[in-house]
Amino acid sequence: MKLETKQFIIGFLGLVFLASLVLVQAMEVARKREEVGLTSAHVAVPAKSQNCVECHGKSTPGIIDHWKGSTHARKGVGCVECHLADKADADAFTHYGTVIATIVTPKDCGRCHEKETKEFDNSHHAKAGNILASLDNFLAETVEGSRVPFNPHSPTPGRPDITEVNGMASSFVGCQQCHGSKIALLGKDGSSIAVDDLKPGPNGQPTNLAILDQIMKSDDGRPRFHAGTWPNTGIGRLNLDGSKGSCSACHSRHDFSPRRARQPENCGKCHLGPDHPQKEIYEESKHGVAFRDLKEHMNLDAEDWVLGEDYSQAPTCATCHMSGHSKNGGVVTHDPGKRISWSNRPPVSKVLDTDVDGKIVTELDPVLRREMTAFSAEEKRTNMKQVCHHCHTQDYVNSFYKQYDDFIVLFNEKFAKPGESIMKALRKNELITKTQFDEEIEWTWFYLWHHEGRRARHGAAMMAPDYAHWHGMFEVAERFYQEMIPQAREITEYAAEEGKEEQAAAVNKLIDEILARPEHAWRNPPSTELKPE
Amino acid sequence: MVTAVRNWFSERLPISGVQIAELTNEPVPNHLKRWWFCLGGTPAYLFVVQIVTGILLAFYYQPAPSTAYESIRTITHDVSYGWYIRSIHKWAATLMIAAVILHQMRIYFTGAYRKPRELNWMVGMCLLLCTLTIGFTGYSLVFEQLSYWGATVAANICDTVPFAGVFFKRLLLAGDSYNSQTLPRFFILHAAVLPAVMIGLLVVHVGILRLQGITEFRFENEPDDKPQTFNFFPDHFYTELTIGLILMILLSVLATVLPVDLGPKADPLTTPEVIKPEWWFYVSFRWLKLFSGTFAVVSSGFIVFVMFVWPFIDGWIRKHTRYTEASVWIGIVGVFLLVGLTVWEAIVEH
Amino acid sequence: MNTEVSESETEVAEPIRRSFLFAVSAAVMAFGLTAGYGMFAWLIGVFLYPFRESAESWQFLSDLGSFGVGHSLTYQSPAGQKIVVTRLADAGTVDDFIALSSVCPHLGCQVHWESNNARFFCPCHNGAFDKVGKPLSGPPKDSDQTLPQYALQIKNDLLFIEVPTTSLT
Repeated sequence: MKLETKQFIIGFLGLVFLASLVLVQAMEVARKREEVGLTSAHVAVPAKSQNCVECHGKSTPGIIDHWKGSTHARKGVGCVECHLADKADADAFTHYGTVIATIVTPKDCGRCHEKETKEFDNSHHAKAGNILASLDNFLAETVEGSRVPFNPHSPTPGRPDITEVNGMASSFVGCQQCHGSKIALLGKDGSSIAVDDLKPGPNGQPTNLAILDQIMKSDDGRPRFHAGTWPNTGIGRLNLDGSKGSCSACHSRHDFSPRRARQPENCGKCHLGPDHPQKEIYEESKHGVAFRDLKEHMNLDAEDWVLGEDYSQAPTCATCHMSGHSKNGGVVTHDPGKRISWSNRPPVSKVLDTDVDGKIVTELDPVLRREMTAFSAEEKRTNMKQVCHHCHTQDYVNSFYKQYDDFIVLFNEKFAKPGESIMKALRKNELITKTQFDEEIEWTWFYLWHHEGRRARHGAAMMAPDYAHWHGMFEVAERFYQEMIPQAREITEYAAEEGKEEQAAAVNKLIDEILARPEHAWRNPPSTELKPE
Repeated sequence: MVTAVRNWFSERLPISGVQIAELTNEPVPNHLKRWWFCLGGTPAYLFVVQIVTGILLAFYYQPAPSTAYESIRTITHDVSYGWYIRSIHKWAATLMIAAVILHQMRIYFTGAYRKPRELNWMVGMCLLLCTLTIGFTGYSLVFEQLSYWGATVAANICDTVPFAGVFFKRLLLAGDSYNSQTLPRFFILHAAVLPAVMIGLLVVHVGILRLQGITEFRFENEPDDKPQTFNFFPDHFYTELTIGLILMILLSVLATVLPVDLGPKADPLTTPEVIKPEWWFYVSFRWLKLFSGTFAVVSSGFIVFVMFVWPFIDGWIRKHTRYTEASVWIGIVGVFLLVGLTVWEAIVEH
Repeated sequence: MNTEVSESETEVAEPIRRSFLFAVSAAVMAFGLTAGYGMFAWLIGVFLYPFRESAESWQFLSDLGSFGVGHSLTYQSPAGQKIVVTRLADAGTVDDFIALSSVCPHLGCQVHWESNNARFFCPCHNGAFDKVGKPLSGPPKDSDQTLPQYALQIKNDLLFIEVPTTSLT
């Protein structure tokens, strides 16, 4: 081979080598770009929290690892910033030289996140703890459990320590994990000391100082919590400092990831199941189907996550009910109620005109009603429609709302109001007792509105036809015709035999009037028309 | 001007172009125009690549059990082009071992080890053993599951060597088992001791080669009047440059297409289901599995010893028996055994 | 041997003088080699250059509400520097605040705030600074060295400071 040829070959190979290195460089650039989102940003431990991180990195590495992935960690918000407490706080204790508290309440979060805390405090979410006086709670505390401890039915082999049954267990584990517990410290005498006993002032510190001596403390001076009430991250938690709720209900500890709060699974901890399957309804709807498919294009890590700017592939729960969008300047609200026009929670759905206190206006007179209303259902609906309009035209949205309204009204007028009036009549005429859930018809009625009726209404609200119909109205109808009416009739029949003819007749008259209405008349066809041949 | 500069240098470096040419211009036998006779230069070139990339990796590598894996993770994922440099180092190691073995086969089958080149064969054997050991220690440095357990298995094999086994194991691991002192030992062996020894051996290897001249071959189809040699510089030098560039391209392509990944971190408490060494140890690994402990180890040692002194055994056979071509047949058997055992180990699960 | 060498020398030298083609091919070879290995050398350079930006980040300091005018707080950065942050005004902007290093620019001793003299004082060589870090006396005054300042910013009514941070990993 001639030397010149060799030199040309070497020159050529040198350029091929260069080309291969250019390929290497391209891969490196691509890799770096890909890793920008994947690698966690530089995290520094704030000096004040360095001891916490060192020790808890070993004892509870999960907490620290979670925190390291949080925006808090990136911005220098460590352990102390949130857990810091004042010596005067009821649950404060000195932990390796720093006064801290275990439970971080919205009051603590609100030191920095003021707007969010205020909005949340005005929301229905924050009032979820009020369920403690509701019908559902009677179910858990009395029907399912017992308000006072009772003796075991019989011994449990291997567990001689079970000498007493805590009848509140179902309430603590079931209701309160979503609705929020009333956080209580353990008293020295075994009693529980909660917010009502501490009477906290505006700064959250107890004003009833006498009771502070009663708090039971462990050897290291740490106040003990009533085990039924803590651990608890229910959204309407009643905290010792008088604040309501728990931010970590949605912004789970300890990474407080906005990404997670934006996803439907987050709401699905509570909004699912037989009585309000919002999560399942969403999954059935086209909205949920699109989300599942396009999740990776949803830009879930975006700083502001504004619909129409950062993403528009699909809505999640947060998108419609809370998140900022391009038509409202990207303003997030922490009060989901600001975009909801029907309350489908009660037996009969209510229009969500609310007064200055956030209570639903029940006044019928239109003028008075307008005066009392501070935030009308129409405004709320407009707020929601703005979200819809990112993907749907005005006509489309208006017609959807027409379908939705019609459905709610149908349920209200055909089953809910009649059902409610029958129940009222039975109770007024003392054909059933005042005690809830001791008669079969009370269970029937509860199923009708609380489970099936809500399924139907939520299904209609969020476009899940199967929930609206088969899991919903079909079962409502069956429950009404096949169980509720026969059971009411049976009660009147039995009462008449017992000598309460007058009361029985009154209830029967009401039922007859209801069934004689045209929407129910299909059950009593004129005998000539449909008689089998 | 040019003359002034040249004078300035020649005053301080009293060596002329003629002298350099004299030093390097060894006439190269014509057979080296065939590429398979250049296999000796290939591992040398790869050795240089290894030194360069190895030094680069050492800038980031931290040889301690607590940091080794993490530092390699940093090299692979964080450092700019770290994955590339690491992949080059790994692939060059693989190619180097392959090239060394091929070079040795070529020497063997062409009888280039015969008198008077017995000593250089033995130097070459030392280089082979050094190459394998440096491969082993290098793999151990990654501190992923397989490298940790590979080293542990190797230590256990050491144990079965009669008399000196335990002593050597303790020396290698700095204790009875893998401990915090082990990794620094592997590192120093890999990055300082073995390279230094290999450089020394290479100088001797090439020095002897230069003193003796390259074995000359004539091929039957060559006309007798053709010149029997050509110039090292620039002709053969260009060939080596070409080989070097082809190797660099090959390495770059391998590094991008099959970049080296990082297995799970070493966990002394969890034995992996399958422990396999790097491919170049498959032969000895399969051998060890075929025979019981001590016999397998002693027989391996015996085979290495025979390979070492082969030029003398071969000389004896050629002198005292009529089987002058015995080495070829033994070689073929050896290669079949080598390939067979490697493939066997490669395809079976355990 | 000697004759061979001189022979080869002439062989090498001759084509260089003789052939234009040889000059072209030599240039191509030189270019190819320089480009290939040059790029490789450049990659090596990038490989060795620090892959992280210098570790500095905006760290949370305080909410504005609980940081009144005239107050100062001592902040320790994650990397350990002690910093004194003081609120001088009530305009609600970032200019209300000043964050001063407590390391004396003279020889690196720790200065401390003397509230009765309203000055930062360095005990090593009696250096003193006023509340905005200007030198009042001592060696810093002679060479007009001020206390180093740190950048501050306000975001959502929260005060952040830009400080060096040490990495966790």
